[in-house]
Amino acid sequence: MKQINIIWGLLMVLTFATAFVSGSEISYAALLIIGIAVLKFVFVSFEFMELRKAHILWKYLVLGFLGIFSMLILFIL
Amino acid sequence: METVPIDSKNVYYPPGGILMWIIIFLELFTFGMALVAMVYYGSLERELFHESRLLLNASYGAVNTVFLLTSGFFMAKSVMELKRQEVAKSIRYLSLTMFLGLCFLVLKGIEYSLKIEAGLDMNYNLFFTFYWALTIFHVIHVLVGLIILGVSTYNLKRNPAKVDLIDIEAGAAFWHMCDLIWLLLFPIIYLIF
Repeated sequence: MKQINIIWGLLMVLTFATAFVSGSEISYAALLIIGIAVLKFVFVSFEFMELRKAHILWKYLVLGFLGIFSMLILFIL
Repeated sequence: METVPIDSKNVYYPPGGILMWIIIFLELFTFGMALVAMVYYGSLERELFHESRLLLNASYGAVNTVFLLTSGFFMAKSVMELKRQEVAKSIRYLSLTMFLGLCFLVLKGIEYSLKIEAGLDMNYNLFFTFYWALTIFHVIHVLVGLIILGVSTYNLKRNPAKVDLIDIEAGAAFWHMCDLIWLLLFPIIYLIF
């Protein structure tokens, strides 16, 4: 139960970090924003949806989707 | 309550059920392709997409992210309590989940009405065509999720002995899917252009 509270805290920190990055003039801001979104996606799927308890195939499928999606977005940008 | 032990390590039994995960992947693929298309057109008309993005209020998007992530957190807690046979606590967390889902919809409604008042409708330009199509499609998913959670809460209150944990987990997986889709929509629509 404690771990899920920590994950929620991290998700909030990452959400505020996204707001900070998007409002700043940091170079590679898009890369950071997508990176943070990927991290949040992993936390929600692996911890809230308990994917970490699932068969490895499901983990690879989720991570594979995320990898291809984020690479495509960053490549086109 | 029926809590038949499930071996989640078995490839056929991911948490929430294999059918729900097939739906989740189909949805992620659909939204993912639409977002890739949006970014592609955005790369062709950079100035238009940048100026249009500035017409959105990113604060609304950020607050809605907090609403959805926190509702997902309560959903996860609700499932955990149910596994420990703590039905009353589980119902309390489910109610909080739905309340935050409603907060998301209310804020989205305010945002939509402001956009319509400003004349930024679906035909305004290509950016707003994507904005409306993707966010409304997502809102429909949130509405369906709320209905599923509402039925689950009703069943848990009425006769918890007849409720199957697998059904609650499937509803939870659908709700978390709404989170996941929003985590892809928010940065691309509100921030990166």
